Amino acid sequence: MNNPERPTFDQELAASLSRGRAVAVPGFADRVVEAVRGERRRRVVIRWSSAATAAAACFVAILTLSTPTEESLNRQTLALVARDESVQFADLLGAADDLSLLSPAIEKPSVVEVLNAPGS
Amino acid sequence: MAQEEPTLPDDEDDKRLMALVAQGDDDALRLLVHRHHARLVGYLRGEVGSQATAEELAMEVFIRLHRAASRWRPEAKLSTYLIHIAHNLVLNEWRRRGRKPTTALEFAAEPGDASQQSARRVAELDEAFQRAIAQLPTEQRTAILLVVQQELPYEDIAAIMGVPVSSVKTWIHRARARLRELLKDFYADE
Repeated sequence: MNNPERPTFDQELAASLSRGRAVAVPGFADRVVEAVRGERRRRVVIRWSSAATAAAACFVAILTLSTPTEESLNRQTLALVARDESVQFADLLGAADDLSLLSPAIEKPSVVEVLNAPGS
Repeated sequence: MAQEEPTLPDDEDDKRLMALVAQGDDDALRLLVHRHHARLVGYLRGEVGSQATAEELAMEVFIRLHRAASRWRPEAKLSTYLIHIAHNLVLNEWRRRGRKPTTALEFAAEPGDASQQSARRVAELDEAFQRAIAQLPTEQRTAILLVVQQELPYEDIAAIMGVPVSSVKTWIHRARARLRELLKDFYADE
């Protein structure tokens, strides 16, 4: 039989849990506001750095995509010819001479043979 | 005799404060935190068993509330919304740790006016309850904390946990049975 003076399981469960229902923390609100301000500052920095990056990208794009004048086109063409990369590459490898060894040995016809050929 | 200023009901006042928070009013945020943090920390401490972790999670709850202030619609009470965020953070915390709490701790009952002997029994009992609650499955622990400790209605708990009311009732029933089993030494003669 239950002892009427002794609280039941459910009563003690409720009493025990309700003792931990609210735990006030001194200064907690100030800590939260400080954390929120810190986050707000970080967001401003991120927003400005994104804007700066976008502006820089636009600036570069304007410089790159601007229409070239005829003179600058000529200059670019000359510059390209001046640094013919295939020649530089062959020179670098020292392969210019070696390549002639690999080419098929074909005897070139003389001018007389060409002129005497049927149909010429 | 000083005449008291008419005060808004808490829910209405919360709505008003949230509107101010959405406009960047830090004083309104401070007031909201001051009003709600104690219950939130109490709930979180029941869930995670640690005061420090409970405070960290409560801080994160309010930061998220601040971020969502402009989108917040007062469909539910703010206190329920806060516990909903807290519950999700607790689930993330367990996932991150890869385990559930196995010990409860740091819970010291305040003796109040009770005698030394009964204060000791209260402290022992509280510790026993905390240990037992820490051993419950996550859903059962959350449900029993919300219904018994936070005194929320089943419908609110179901909304917070994203499950039907019937599931909440089942978990609470099982939690009580499990707690009774774990604490049978205290209630051997009941």
